[in-house]
Amino acid sequence: MIYEILILIIPFIAMGFYRNIKTTSIIAAIAEMFLLIPLYFNLSDSGFFFIDRITYIFILMVSSIYLMSLIYSRKYIHNVKNRGISENVYYILMGFFYVAMEFALMVNNYGFMWVGIETTTISSALLLITEKSDISLEATWRYIIIVSAGVTFAFISVILIYYAFGTLTVTVILSKGITDSLAVRLAVGIALVGFGTKVGVFPVHTWLPDAHSEAPAPVSAMFSGVLLPVALYVLYRIYEIFPMRELFIWAGTISVLFAAIFLGYQKNYKRMFAYSTMENMNIALIGLSTFTLAGLVGSLLLLLSHSFGKAGAFYSSGNVFEMSGTKSIDSVGGLIRNRASATSMLLSSFAVTGTPPFGTFFGEFLILYSVLSIHFYAQFSIIVLSLFLAFVSINFNISKMLFRGKSEYSQSGINTVIPLIAAIISIFIGIVFLVVYHEIL
Amino acid sequence: MNVVFTVIYLIAALIVVTGFYIQSNKYLRSMVMTQAFQSLLIAIIAILLGFQLKQYTFFILAVLVILLRSILVTYFLVAKIPKNKNYLYESRLPTTYYLLVDLAFIVVSIFIVYSISFIHIISRIFPESNIILFPLLLFFQGLFIIASRRRTIAQILGYIEEENSLILMGTFILPVPIIIESSVFLDVLILVVIFSIISIEKTEHKPVEELRG
Repeated sequence: MIYEILILIIPFIAMGFYRNIKTTSIIAAIAEMFLLIPLYFNLSDSGFFFIDRITYIFILMVSSIYLMSLIYSRKYIHNVKNRGISENVYYILMGFFYVAMEFALMVNNYGFMWVGIETTTISSALLLITEKSDISLEATWRYIIIVSAGVTFAFISVILIYYAFGTLTVTVILSKGITDSLAVRLAVGIALVGFGTKVGVFPVHTWLPDAHSEAPAPVSAMFSGVLLPVALYVLYRIYEIFPMRELFIWAGTISVLFAAIFLGYQKNYKRMFAYSTMENMNIALIGLSTFTLAGLVGSLLLLLSHSFGKAGAFYSSGNVFEMSGTKSIDSVGGLIRNRASATSMLLSSFAVTGTPPFGTFFGEFLILYSVLSIHFYAQFSIIVLSLFLAFVSINFNISKMLFRGKSEYSQSGINTVIPLIAAIISIFIGIVFLVVYHEIL
Repeated sequence: MNVVFTVIYLIAALIVVTGFYIQSNKYLRSMVMTQAFQSLLIAIIAILLGFQLKQYTFFILAVLVILLRSILVTYFLVAKIPKNKNYLYESRLPTTYYLLVDLAFIVVSIFIVYSISFIHIISRIFPESNIILFPLLLFFQGLFIIASRRRTIAQILGYIEEENSLILMGTFILPVPIIIESSVFLDVLILVVIFSIISIEKTEHKPVEELRG
């Protein structure tokens, strides 16, 4: 229990050093990474915290992306001209945001999970106005009101779980096995809409492209890479009580299809990556909903690899925005002359579209396999078609940005290296999986 | 059904009426005060249930509702209503149209509630009634306010109405542990504070070209 408490406390200690918070936050994030080592050998399966192997992967994801985003923020946030919040407040909010996500993951209570998810909205809302403009204010407001209204819906689910079991303790409820009753069915169904708002399930996804496109690059990376997976984790824990396979897989399939359609006419590269997140999250949702081992492994692999790939994509977007001053795909061209940014952008876009040998490819492969194994042929066909559309749309737009026209963009320093590292980690995850788990394939 | 339960039933109906009043109101200050009154009604229900069932948690709930919703949230919201006359009310608000749509919305909601058998979730406190319908109606009203109004304050009131419906639902079905309930209250309070920061520069919300598609 000591490690879980330390994970939650250390960011607050860093906040205590207000004047040097930029540095102390990074030191704290590194310390958190080291804490993950003993945590792996001391997982909790009862008491206030509940961390199993699945939870651990999510915790690893959150801690890694948090550390990368903090390092990337040092220069990026410092260079923002019209700041809506001060630099120090930015790091404090990032700390709160991180703790809220870790809390939602580790806590052994559905009620507190809900509190954790709602707190992520509160702590991250003001981060959206770091690059202040009328549009970012509108996006912030939409984010707050749509997500909060949706997550409020999820609280009905919590009430119903309490009604059905007389407790909200995750381990106690899950130890009873799959439980079927009207209250439980309603709870699981409502959770899909409620927590689904934060996961990006169609049609309650509308906040997602707005928030992702207007947030500063490191915050977009946190949103896309880890916030949505955390909400998906909570949704999965509720789904485990009574798997409503058909409902969840159809919801995921329709969402993937719409994400692919939306991707077809995007003009803003950050919105494009946001819809790609919607697509990836819903594929992971489908994998988890198949309730098979292949589906579970595939989803975890996809989420882990996607978190790094998408973080890399948003960091690259941040670099492009810094150099060009625009988010329009048509206004950016000839990026290839800037080798570092071009390479990281290309690798990231391959990572998020499931190109081999990235981990996302193997994840999607396993998920498709699991969908076939439960004989959901119609959904399988729609998913394959959508994946193809998304792949073409994203890579076509990125090619345009890289190879069309000429430019004099130049950038150097650590912020050009971080997206590259993120994308390479995404490949590394795929290769490690291929070597370690090749027998599954 | 004894007298106390009948009174609670009537208050629950009155809460839904306050929802209609907020929906049809143009004046922001009046809307905020109605929200305070609505929260107070919920606190009264909690107190009555506390006496009837002899459970102290209902009293804690009532104190939290009065302190955080009726007083603190109302204070923050009233303080943020701009003094400029143009901002005191929403002009060109099609009140009759909104009321009719709200009514239609609620009829559809009731239909959905019945069709998904939600109504069979029997209140542990009122096992022989459909009292669960009142918080559900309030929930859908809150959603409709968020969807239909443009002012930041009106939308946040819709959200608070949604949260009020959850407290009411929890109270009727089976009150969730008070520590979780308290966290929910604090969440709303912080959200209102964030709202007050944003509302300094953005008092109204319209479609934005850059955020389409």
